[in-house]
Amino acid sequence: MIEPPPFLHLFPIRHHGPGSARALLAALHGLKPDAILVEGPADANEIIPWLGHEDMEPPIALLVYRPDKPDAAGSYPFAEFSPEFQALRYGVQQGIVTRFFDLPQSVMLAAVARPLMPDTAVFHQIAQAADHHDYELWWNAAIEQRQNQDDLFTGILELMTAMRSAAEETLPPAMDEKMAAAHAQSGQIAQQREAHMRHAIRQARAEGCERIAVVCGAWHAPALCHLDNAAADDALLANLPGVDVETAWVPWTYGRISATTGYGAGIRSPGWYHHLWQMGQQQATPTQMSIHWLSHVAQLLRDQDLDASSAHIIEAVRLAEALAAMRGLPAPGLPELNEATQTVLCFGDAAPMQLIQKRLIVGERMGAVPPDSPMIPLQRDLHQQQRRLRLRPEPETITLNLDLRTDSHRERSQLLHRLNLLKVPWGKITPIRGQSGTYQEVWQLAWKPEFVVRLIEAGVWGNTVETAVTQFATHQAEQAQDLPTLTHLLDQALLADLPELVLSLLGRIEAQAAVSSDVPHMMDALLPLARVLRYGDVRQTNPELVRHVVDTLVTRICIGLPSTCASLDNDAAAEMLDRVTAVHTTIATQQNEDHLAAWEATLRQLADQPGIHGLLAGKATRVLLDTAVFQPAEATTRLERVLSGATNSANQLTQMAFWIEGFLKGSGLLVLHDQALWQLLDGWVMQLDAERFQTILPLLRRTFSTFSDAARQQLMERVRYGRTAANQPITHPTFDEVQADKVLPLVAKLLGIQS
Amino acid sequence: METILRAHAEQQFAAELYELEEADRRPRPANWRLSPWAVATYILGGTLDNGFEIVPKYIGNGRLIEIAIATLTTDRALLLMGIPGTGKTWVSEHLAAAISGDSTLLVQGTAGTSEEAIRYGWNYASLIAKGPTAEALVPSPLMLAMRNGRIARVEELTRIPADVQDALITILSEKLLPIPELNQEVQAIKGFNVIATANDRDRGVNDLSSALKRRFNTVVLPLPATAAEEVTIVQQRVHSLGQALELPAEPPALAEIRRVVTIFRELRQGVTENGKAKLKSPSSTLSTAEAISVINSGLALAGHFGDGVLRANDMAASLTGAIVKDPIHDTVIWREYLETIVRERDGWGDLYQACRALV
Repeated sequence: MIEPPPFLHLFPIRHHGPGSARALLAALHGLKPDAILVEGPADANEIIPWLGHEDMEPPIALLVYRPDKPDAAGSYPFAEFSPEFQALRYGVQQGIVTRFFDLPQSVMLAAVARPLMPDTAVFHQIAQAADHHDYELWWNAAIEQRQNQDDLFTGILELMTAMRSAAEETLPPAMDEKMAAAHAQSGQIAQQREAHMRHAIRQARAEGCERIAVVCGAWHAPALCHLDNAAADDALLANLPGVDVETAWVPWTYGRISATTGYGAGIRSPGWYHHLWQMGQQQATPTQMSIHWLSHVAQLLRDQDLDASSAHIIEAVRLAEALAAMRGLPAPGLPELNEATQTVLCFGDAAPMQLIQKRLIVGERMGAVPPDSPMIPLQRDLHQQQRRLRLRPEPETITLNLDLRTDSHRERSQLLHRLNLLKVPWGKITPIRGQSGTYQEVWQLAWKPEFVVRLIEAGVWGNTVETAVTQFATHQAEQAQDLPTLTHLLDQALLADLPELVLSLLGRIEAQAAVSSDVPHMMDALLPLARVLRYGDVRQTNPELVRHVVDTLVTRICIGLPSTCASLDNDAAAEMLDRVTAVHTTIATQQNEDHLAAWEATLRQLADQPGIHGLLAGKATRVLLDTAVFQPAEATTRLERVLSGATNSANQLTQMAFWIEGFLKGSGLLVLHDQALWQLLDGWVMQLDAERFQTILPLLRRTFSTFSDAARQQLMERVRYGRTAANQPITHPTFDEVQADKVLPLVAKLLGIQS
Repeated sequence: METILRAHAEQQFAAELYELEEADRRPRPANWRLSPWAVATYILGGTLDNGFEIVPKYIGNGRLIEIAIATLTTDRALLLMGIPGTGKTWVSEHLAAAISGDSTLLVQGTAGTSEEAIRYGWNYASLIAKGPTAEALVPSPLMLAMRNGRIARVEELTRIPADVQDALITILSEKLLPIPELNQEVQAIKGFNVIATANDRDRGVNDLSSALKRRFNTVVLPLPATAAEEVTIVQQRVHSLGQALELPAEPPALAEIRRVVTIFRELRQGVTENGKAKLKSPSSTLSTAEAISVINSGLALAGHFGDGVLRANDMAASLTGAIVKDPIHDTVIWREYLETIVRERDGWGDLYQACRALV
C-alpha cells in the first residue's frame, strides 16, 4: 500500500458525486488545510475568487476559450453538489491558497490529441465483482448514497490503486499504426496531466504550505502519492505547446450537465444528485430521501392534474424499499424509485415518466453569474461582429436602411435576425410601405442594458452568436409541438442564414407533419419549404432533403384534404380557399409529375365531393378547367348541374352563389369568352324572383368585385348590348367633336405620324 | 390424469416447485411457499445450485417480474395490464402457483359477474330450510383465499360492471369481508393477496374507480421488445395453428412474416423500424395475435383459392382489415403509410400494389 507524504491529503472523488462532495466537505472542516488544489485547468486560477461572490449560483461552468476562436473552448461545469465546487468555495471563503492544478487549457487546446481516458472495462469488472451490472449504479449505491463515510477516501484510494495496476496489466486492444500513434499521443498527455499535478503540489509545498488538500478524479489519486521524481516530471512538462486563452464563468443548466461535456463523462441524473446533496446536508436517512423524492414526484404529477395522494406516496416508498431488498441494495436507488413511481403513482403508465425524467431527474435548474464577471465568449464574439459590421450598440433608437444586395448589409441583417432569435431584440424590423421588394429592410435599433444579462444567459447555448442561436433555436424546435411554430422558426432561420438550424427544423417539420392530422397547418408549412426549394435560399441546405419533406407534405395534404374539407362553415371555407389556391400555385410551379397527378386527383375529389362547401367545389372545378383537365364543356356541365337545384331553399341558393364565387374568383374573363357559360349564368339569374335575387345579390357582388375594372366594364357592356363592345365606335350625346379635333395634331406628333 | 386437456401450473411444474422449495434458504413472507427470490427464479428461469434447470415462464423484462413480486410482498394488490396476448393471465397463474402453490382461486370477470361471485353466495335449499347459517353460505374464491392466506386471481377486472368491482375495495383495504346476515366477518390471514388482470384496450369500458385503482400497483406487460422476438413468436404460432387447421398451403416464407410484423410494429409504435420517419398510429390493436391471424387467413386464401404459396395479394385483404378498424380515420393513416413508407421500400412493390387496390 502506498502512503502519501504527511503534508499531502488526497481526496479522490468522482466528478459531480454528491456523496463525495458531502464527505469531502466534512473532511475539509476536520483537516483545516492551508492549501486546496482542485483538478481543473491551471490557467483559470485568476477567476477562482469569483466563486465567493454572492450572486454566483450554480450550476455554472468554467469556460477557457481562445479569444480568436471562441468555439475552441474547454468547459468545466460545476453544480452545487460537485465536490470541486464545494472545495473551491471552501478555499475562497477561508482565504487559503486555492488553485486548479491540472494541465493548463492553453496546452490542451494546442494539443492535437485528447488525453487518454481509463479503459472502462476495469470499471465494469469491479461492478461485476460486486454483483452489479452497471458501474454507475454500483458507484451510486456504494459511494454516493453511502451513509457511513469514515475512511471513504482511503478506501477509494486503495480501490483505485488496485484498479490502475489491473488496467496496466490488461493489454491495449489491437490497433493499426495510425491508431497506435494517436493512442501514444493521448497517453502522453495523460502522463503530462499527472506530472503537472505533482509539479503543482511540490510548488505549494515549496511555498510553505503544510496541509495540502488535493481534490481530483479518483483515477488520478494513486499517481499523486510519489513526489520524489521531480526531474522526470519537469522533462515531461518541458516545451509544452500553447495558445492564448481567456477564461470566464458562464451560467449552466442541469440539462447540459447531463450531456457529455469536456469534464469527463456527463452525468445522467443531475436533478437526482441535487436531491441527494440537499438531503445529505440535512443528515437524512435513506427512507427520508425516498419519501422526499417521491413527494416531489407527486407534486409534479399534481401540477399536471394527475392524481397523487399521500397514500400513493406511502405505497410507493414501501414498494421501492421492497424492491431494494429483493435486489440486495442497502437503500432504494433511482431505478427502484422510478419503478415504484410508475407502478404506484402512474398506474403503470410510462408517459408521465418522461416528464419526471425531464423535470426532476435531469432538472431544469439554471445557474447565474454576477453581471460584472469577466466577459463570456458569446459577448466577445458579438463585440467583434459589431466592430466588424460597424454597428455600435447605442441606447437611443437609430433607423437603419439595409440593401440586402450588398454583402455588408446582408451580414448586418443576418446578425440582427440572429439576435432576435436569441431573444436579444436589439433591432426591430419595420414593414416597408408601398414596396414589396425583398432586397430591402428597415430596422429600428436600440440597445438596452438588460441585453447583457440575456447574452450571459444565452452563453449556455454556445460561444459564438451563430452556434448559440442554432443550439437555442434547435432546443425551441424540440419543444415545439405544432407545425405553425416550426414553420415560423424556419422562416426566421432562413432570414438569419442558419443552414444547420434549417436542417434540424426540416427534420422536426417532417416528424411533426407525420403525426399531425391538421391539414391546414401542413398547407401553411408547404409554402416556405417550397420557397427554399425554388430559390435555393439556403446555400448549404441539401435540396434533396427539402424535396423529401415537400414530397411527404404534398402526399399527406392530398390524402387528408378531402376529409378536412368535409364540413366547413363560410369563414373556414374562405380560409381554406386561400390555402388551396396557395398550394395549387406551389405545386404548379414545382412541376413535379407525381405531385401534379396526386393534386389533380384530390381536386377531382373535392369537385365531386357531396356536401362540400360551394366555394371549394367551385374553386376545384376552376383549377381543373385552367389546367385543362376538364374540357370547357365539362366545366359548363358541372355549373349547369350546380345551378339545376331548387332555388327556393335559401341555403341551397347561397351554396350556388358560393360555387360561382369559387369558380369565378379572381378573373371574370372566362364568362366573357365562353358563350355557353354566359348563357347559363344569365339564364339562372333571370329566373330568380325579386326576393331571391335580393338574397343572392351581395354574394354575387362580392364575386364580381374581385374582377379587374376593365373586365367589369366589358361585362357591363355585354349585358347592355348583348355583346362585347371592343371595336364599337364611341357615340355619346354630349361628345364635342370640335374639342376632340384640337388634340389630334399633338397625338399625331407623339406617335410620329405626319398629318 | 392423461385425459386432462390442460393441467394447472402447480401440477405441470410440480417438480420445479418442489426443487425450488428444497433449495430455498432465504426468508419467506408468512404463508408463502417460496421466498420472493425463488419466485423470481421460478418465473424467469435459471439453474439451481444442484444443477436443476428451471424453465423460464416469462421471456422479457425481468425487472417487471421483480416489481410484481415486490408488490405482493408489500401486501398491495397487483394489477397486470397490457393489450391482449402479452401473457397477463399466464404470469398471474404462475405467480399464484409459486407463492401459494394454488392457482385455482379464480374469479373470471365478465359483464355478468355478480357480487356473489366476489363475496359469497347461498345454497338456497339450505337457506330456506335452515335460515342463514354458516353451512348455507357458499364462499367465493376470494373468501377462501382470505381464510387460507392464499393468492386469489381476478381475470379481466375491467369487464366486471363498476358497482360489482367496488365490492373489492373493502377486501383490499381492510382485508376484511363482512357477512351481515350471520353477523360475522372473515378477516384475511397473512399471505392473502389479489392478482387482477385487465385489458389495456378495454379502458373506458368499465374503468376502475379511482378508489379501487389506488389499491392496486399496476404493472404493464409490454409487447415483444424486438422485431426478431416477435417474428419468432408469430412463426411458431402460425406453424402450430397451421397444423391444427390442416391448411393446404406451404408454410409461409419468413420474409412474409417479417413484412407483416414490421408493418404492425411500425404502425403500433408510430415510427419506422430504422427510427427515421414518424407515423400516425391507427385505432386498431395490432397485437402479435392479430399478426398471426393475418398470416393464417392469408395462408387459407393461398391454399384454397391461390397457388398454395402465400403472396402479397393473399395477405392484402386481411392486413387491411386488421389495420383499418375505423373506416375514415384509419383509412387516412393506412394510406399515408402505404404512400410514404411501403411504396418507397425496395421489394415491397407487390404489397403496395395489392393494398393500394383495396383502399
